[in-house]
Amino acid sequence: MLVYATELAENSSTMTVSNITSASGEASVSSGARSQQNQNQTMVAATTKKKRNLPGMPDPEAEVIALSPKTLMATNRFVCEICNKGFQRDQNLQLHRRGHNLPWKLRQRTSKEVRKRVYICPEVSCVHHDPSRALGDLTGIKKHFCRKHGEKKFKCDKCSKRYAVQSDWKAHSKTCGTREYRCDCGTLFSRRDSFVSHRAFCDALAEESAKAQAVVAADSAVASGPANSSSDDDPKNKVASTPLSTSPPNVPAPSSQQESEGSAGFMQPSLTTPASCGPTSTNSSSMFASLFASAGGLQNAAFTDLIGAMTRPDPTPPPVSTTTTTPAIALALGPSSPSISALFSQKPSSLEPNPHLHYTSTTPAHMSATALLQKAAQMGATASSNSSFMRGLGLLPQTHQDQHHHQNQNHHHPQENWTHHTGLGLGLLPPEYGVLPREEGVVSMQELMSAPLFGPGGALGSGFKGEEMGCKPTTVDFLGLGSGASGPGGLSALITSIGRGLDMAAALGGVGGGAGASPGRPGWDGS
Amino acid sequence: MDEEDFSSSSNPNPNPNFDPSQFSSPKWALKVLVECAMAIETQDSTRTQHLLWVLNELSSPYGDTDQKLAAAFLQALFCKVTDSGRKTHRNLVAAAEKMYTFESTRRMMLRFQEVSPWTTFGHVAANGALIEAMNGENRIHIVDISGTYCTQWPTLLEALATRSDDTPHVRITHVLSSVGPAGHRVSREIGARMEKFARLMGVPFNFSSLHVAEIEALNHENLKLQEGEVLAINCIFSLHKVGPTSRDTAVSALRRLDPRVLTLVEEEVDLDSDRGQGFAAWLGECVRFFRAYLESLDESFPKASEERLMLERAMARAAVDLVACPADESRERRERSGWWARRMRACGFGPVGFSDDVLDDMRALLRRYREGWSMGLGRADDEAGSGVYLEWKEEPMVWASAWKP
Repeated sequence: MLVYATELAENSSTMTVSNITSASGEASVSSGARSQQNQNQTMVAATTKKKRNLPGMPDPEAEVIALSPKTLMATNRFVCEICNKGFQRDQNLQLHRRGHNLPWKLRQRTSKEVRKRVYICPEVSCVHHDPSRALGDLTGIKKHFCRKHGEKKFKCDKCSKRYAVQSDWKAHSKTCGTREYRCDCGTLFSRRDSFVSHRAFCDALAEESAKAQAVVAADSAVASGPANSSSDDDPKNKVASTPLSTSPPNVPAPSSQQESEGSAGFMQPSLTTPASCGPTSTNSSSMFASLFASAGGLQNAAFTDLIGAMTRPDPTPPPVSTTTTTPAIALALGPSSPSISALFSQKPSSLEPNPHLHYTSTTPAHMSATALLQKAAQMGATASSNSSFMRGLGLLPQTHQDQHHHQNQNHHHPQENWTHHTGLGLGLLPPEYGVLPREEGVVSMQELMSAPLFGPGGALGSGFKGEEMGCKPTTVDFLGLGSGASGPGGLSALITSIGRGLDMAAALGGVGGGAGASPGRPGWDGS
Repeated sequence: MDEEDFSSSSNPNPNPNFDPSQFSSPKWALKVLVECAMAIETQDSTRTQHLLWVLNELSSPYGDTDQKLAAAFLQALFCKVTDSGRKTHRNLVAAAEKMYTFESTRRMMLRFQEVSPWTTFGHVAANGALIEAMNGENRIHIVDISGTYCTQWPTLLEALATRSDDTPHVRITHVLSSVGPAGHRVSREIGARMEKFARLMGVPFNFSSLHVAEIEALNHENLKLQEGEVLAINCIFSLHKVGPTSRDTAVSALRRLDPRVLTLVEEEVDLDSDRGQGFAAWLGECVRFFRAYLESLDESFPKASEERLMLERAMARAAVDLVACPADESRERRERSGWWARRMRACGFGPVGFSDDVLDDMRALLRRYREGWSMGLGRADDEAGSGVYLEWKEEPMVWASAWKP
């Protein structure tokens, strides 16, 4: 049983990546960012035509290691005899022993030991059980095994979400309940269940489908690119949401110029591009690790999931034609656009070799839970373009067969198209689409202001009170008891009139907002 | 609650019937309404008139909880006295129907669910039970006989979409009984939204609504049950709309559908007037229950909330239905869990316990609402057995349960 210190493991995987990348004749990558690594693995997978877009280490050179579930699940197997503190790795125990002035010995890495190791999942039914799909580092396979095949022991007190990996749970707990979910209609939610229910019923969802198709398509353009549909969404969305939720400085300013050039030039020779991607994804991941419960700071796994997710056969984003994307491009000037371009400018290079691969597969892989959660998180985490992202994630099972061809054609002119997609990936919307949320605000104001007119405190209410004065039992009818003679007078009439008033208000709202989801939230209660 | 009762009962007043402080003490409405019901019961028309007058002076549909309660039940009692219940109820329903649109319904339901676990408690319980019972199935057909406008399903779809094994095909048949044209419009709109949302979540999905006059009219043919589909029946706040005498028949009919699981959520109160306890005592039970309901609304919603007014108006309609309409036409005669459980067992269902995971979910749900809500577990020796209760200030208000043939 070989145990690496974490750093060593990471190094080795990084090296693996560059090996593979160069072996496959692609731009070489030397970034240490894990997401980077994984993306590259993906690309490699595509290139080698083994399995499409799935994480795994196809390097035949690597030593395949199969660990038992017990070993994988074991924690702190290395226990200090002095203080009983346990460690997961012998190396760490050795370092700890140093503190007790005990003899210690760190394993020296010899050059021979550098030989890559890949780890397969012990679960026979798991795709990563196949050596060709083994994962490149020990921590990765451990977390994979826990997440996918382990018991979810860690549970959030606040929302009762369960996690198998403690770090996932910790990351989630830090932010659970503190974040807000925002619907396209502009309404904010602090609770996920409310948000989900609202989302399902909100007009923003219904409205957008037709009109926003183009925009949606634009958003998903990156994803619907040749092969990597879902895996691309992850970085895209992260970066895309960055400027929306935090300040632009996340994106390294100095390099952006360079990067945009890179993207414009389509294939910037390797080194600059990955280098600039590194910081970008790191920044966003640190931000989103906490947002995306399952990311847990381990981009590796998250990517794995997303990549897994994209094998889903049906959902692929709607069409992207150059024309539809045009309006969005104009808007795609956000601070991070350059770095995104950089991110994606790599992709065509590795994907181009077999653009069809992605679509021909019939593997009915399901969308993994983690990926969906992330998606769901994105639908709230980003601003008004949420649902577009959702669709971008490949959930819209419409007409994508056609799209593929289209995409593939586009693919031959990668420079132009990728630039467009880049902008769209930012989630910046063309003006007509972006208007919606703002109008929604107007509606709320109207409702708010008109509320007292019809409300209890308003004119109707007081008039009613006046009538009520001096009632004898016989006048109880004024209360709308609707007894014998008077029919629907009194209260019922009042209710009716209020009802009409409300209908008017609602109608007003409907007109103002273009049915833009008056989900009640900012409505009457505000007054 | 207990303290209040204690302080008011220790009030040294020799004649509780004419205690003027009862009008200013908390929960005066309950006392005056029960007084009034007693006067009606004993056919003391002078006193009845007097108390109705008092109630009229004190009540307001826009006041505090007691005033609202008094307003609703004054109307109901007045209808009873004047034998105008049916007519008034029809008028009130007609007034409500005018406002009954998808828009208003959506606003009301979502807002209600955001501030109060009244419906969401049952949703979480039912969804948990459904998912566990349907685990591993490829094709799920849910017969939705519930009064919560399908607001339960988005979270179910999300849960199905995010669970680790393959997402099953979900079919929902939304059962409508005795709804007007507005109800059908609303259901159609709901269906469209559901389908869109399911697509968004990547859940293969199919929605249809089915109008039947009576629940017992449901059968495999009109449900269009398909080969390979596993059936679930979801009854949330709906079976009490069946007249008390038809409930055995209805449940038997559901049993004949042979569902994998049946989820049953009902409000925990006995409003069946046929239990022989006398009108005043029965009214007391009604008023107590609706008082707690109004109080929970009061503490959940802001003062002037249109959604809240809608809920309160629905409650006022229920009061008229209960107090002044013929029992066999009533759609509001809720029954306690014990009765339901007995009926379920008699019709060939056995209780399914909620798993710890589901119970945890429900507890977590309640933590997200404000103080006052808690969860009560049915005792093992309890007739209602494995069900769980949503409690408002220690009073059980809603009962959630799951059953299998």
